[in-house]
Amino acid sequence: MKLFDIIKDANQNLLRNKLRSFLTILAIFIGSFSIISTSAIQAGVNNFIDSQVDSYGGDGYLAIVSKDSFDALEGLQGSMGSSSGPVEYDPDKIQTGMSPITEEQLDKLKKIDGIDADSIVEEKNISITYVTSDKTDKKYLIGAEALPPGNVKVDLEAGEQLDLRADEYQILLESKYVDALGFTNDEIVNNKIKLVVLDEYTHTEKTFEAKVKGIIAPGVVSMGQQYTNNKLADDIYEENTKYYPEEVKSQVFAVAANYDYEKYSAQEMKDKLEDIGLSAMTIEDIIGTIKSFFDVILTVFKIFGLIALLAAAIGIINTLFMSVQERTREIGLDKALGMSSKRVFFSFSLEAIMLGFWGSVVGIVMSMVIGNLANAAFHAPGAFLETFPTFQLVQYTIPDIIGVTVLIMTIAFISGTFPARQAAHKNPIDALRYE
Amino acid sequence: MSENVILSTHGLHKSYGKGDGRFEALRGVNLEIKQGESVAIIGKSGSGKSTLMHLLALLDKPTKGSIELDGENTSKLRQKQLNQLRNKKFGFVFQSFFMNANDTVLNNVILPLKIAGVRPGERRRKAMHALKIVGLDDKAKNKANDLSGGQKQRVCIARAIVNDPEIIFADEPTGNLDSVTGDRVEKILFDLNHKKGITLIIVTHDPDLANKCDRQIRIADGRVVNGKAVEDEDIVYAKKPPTYYTHDSGDTDADGMLDVLEEDA
Ligand SMILES: Nc1ncnc2c1ncn2[C@@H]1O[C@H](COP(=O)(O)OP(=O)(O)OP(=O)(O)O)[C@@H](O)[C@H]1O
Ligand SMILES: [Mg+2]
Repeated sequence: MKLFDIIKDANQNLLRNKLRSFLTILAIFIGSFSIISTSAIQAGVNNFIDSQVDSYGGDGYLAIVSKDSFDALEGLQGSMGSSSGPVEYDPDKIQTGMSPITEEQLDKLKKIDGIDADSIVEEKNISITYVTSDKTDKKYLIGAEALPPGNVKVDLEAGEQLDLRADEYQILLESKYVDALGFTNDEIVNNKIKLVVLDEYTHTEKTFEAKVKGIIAPGVVSMGQQYTNNKLADDIYEENTKYYPEEVKSQVFAVAANYDYEKYSAQEMKDKLEDIGLSAMTIEDIIGTIKSFFDVILTVFKIFGLIALLAAAIGIINTLFMSVQERTREIGLDKALGMSSKRVFFSFSLEAIMLGFWGSVVGIVMSMVIGNLANAAFHAPGAFLETFPTFQLVQYTIPDIIGVTVLIMTIAFISGTFPARQAAHKNPIDALRYE
Repeated sequence: MSENVILSTHGLHKSYGKGDGRFEALRGVNLEIKQGESVAIIGKSGSGKSTLMHLLALLDKPTKGSIELDGENTSKLRQKQLNQLRNKKFGFVFQSFFMNANDTVLNNVILPLKIAGVRPGERRRKAMHALKIVGLDDKAKNKANDLSGGQKQRVCIARAIVNDPEIIFADEPTGNLDSVTGDRVEKILFDLNHKKGITLIIVTHDPDLANKCDRQIRIADGRVVNGKAVEDEDIVYAKKPPTYYTHDSGDTDADGMLDVLEEDA
């Protein structure tokens, strides 16, 4: 018997009991739909985060804190999860248990093989009271930070990257400020805006006139932050901290540095830093936290999908058992006329696989139709993804589609083996005597 | 008609069940069937006729004893070879027309060829030829279920001969038919026997049919018994009208069928 005949027969047998086959396929469809949809959302989110990281660059970037601070941060997070008790108060440590990086550690850091000593900068939290320009009377709140050193490239809508070591004040602005400050994209690039810092004791204002080098494209990594060059950040920080006692001002809690990522792995660098009591995070580590948050949610949905598939598998077993029962005489005839048990087994298994195939195809197609409608809806004016024109929340990848189809066909095949074995073991005589 | 023995059995036993429920359906059957012969297996209900036929047709295995086909002991054959033998050498006609009722007449006849893996064009041609022999080529596209009883049995005969078998096994081929239709089916079977030399093994309660065969093998309580060819106790049917042909409307007449067979020879 030819393979083509077997496939054709399997399809015909499914069509013989249309309603039953349809209901079984419907059950499979629910599982297939939820699994492919969550995979598509996962792919979309991960892809988006990756593209943000790529556009950001950041290869070789290390965010460094003292090991004590790192442990304290972990401890704080850990205490939320109740895995360890609260962190004890230590009068020598400031704030949340952060402890500064010592001079000695900084010296050692500069000498570590692979660390670019020139790239080391102190991470400073700067605070700007408001932003305004010559073209408007309005004042807006604004957040900014110094752009991390090295190979970072901010995704820009207009203009160009910062010159970190320039002697003038430079800033990259989010596009929402362009209009508000009375400019168009073309006008604002290389024009000046006013960053104002209020002295809370004297109630006087100090204005920093910064040149806008570029407009930041919307994205997750840059969300809510403007980037300044080093000189602007240093001077605003100086203004912010001018009343601090000298010993506090000189304390360094976090630095950023570049390492030679072509020569060393991130783990090797972390180990080296560990030796001098420092802890480091790469861009991937930071992004990884966001990703794993999404992963947890989506995994839960996937598990629901798998449970639906298990229920569908029982549906397949049930459908085929009924079918074997109904076709007892037919199977007997086939076997009397010389069909081998193997073929009988194969043709019933194939029916199961077909059910799985159609269930997954229908699920995938439906999911893709709805997913594409959703993508369009999310980007409609006023919808929450309007400002991320390149972000497809739902993304179908070929490996996902093939993977889900193969997974479901495998589950269907395994379910089908039980009734298929029963059919294959039927004795032609018993089957022919069966009324 | 050649005198070669095509099938023979030696001390054939068949028992069903185990322990107390054990029942011996055949208790040592010895017989020989020659190539081209037509043989009727007769006997009371429950005597073991169907059981014997299933064993001869290699559909089942004897508990004891052996069956030789063309002088070869069949107990040595593997399942795959048995399947192929049944598919290529045997044709089956069962009492309660075993067919796939929802499929077309043509597809029902094609079944053995499909199992054998014959190409679609070829198997279509052969099936149409077989349908022509039984005079149903105009019903090829009909649903098998829509046919009359006699037509169904003729479809089964077409299916039995589609693979050019050497032996046709028929279990009560006319049992469910009225006498006229029954005669028609009988005629087709005997024509195949005479013109193509196909060996016929027919299980039957019908004394007329049994008497038309070259030889009768009587089974009683699982044994072959000698005696009168057809005993009164076998005559369970009312006396039949004389055998002649009435033409069902729309069917090809019997002479037409004979022509097809003659073209073949
Ligand atoms: N699978 C089975 N299990 C148990 N007993 C069986 C089985 N098949 C047949 N028998 C018994 O074997 C005996 C012979 O059965 P068989 O079908 O060969 O009779 P038969 O001569 O064909 O009868 P009929 O003319 O009514 O068809 C019967 O008594 C029957 O009950
Ligand atoms: Mg019987």
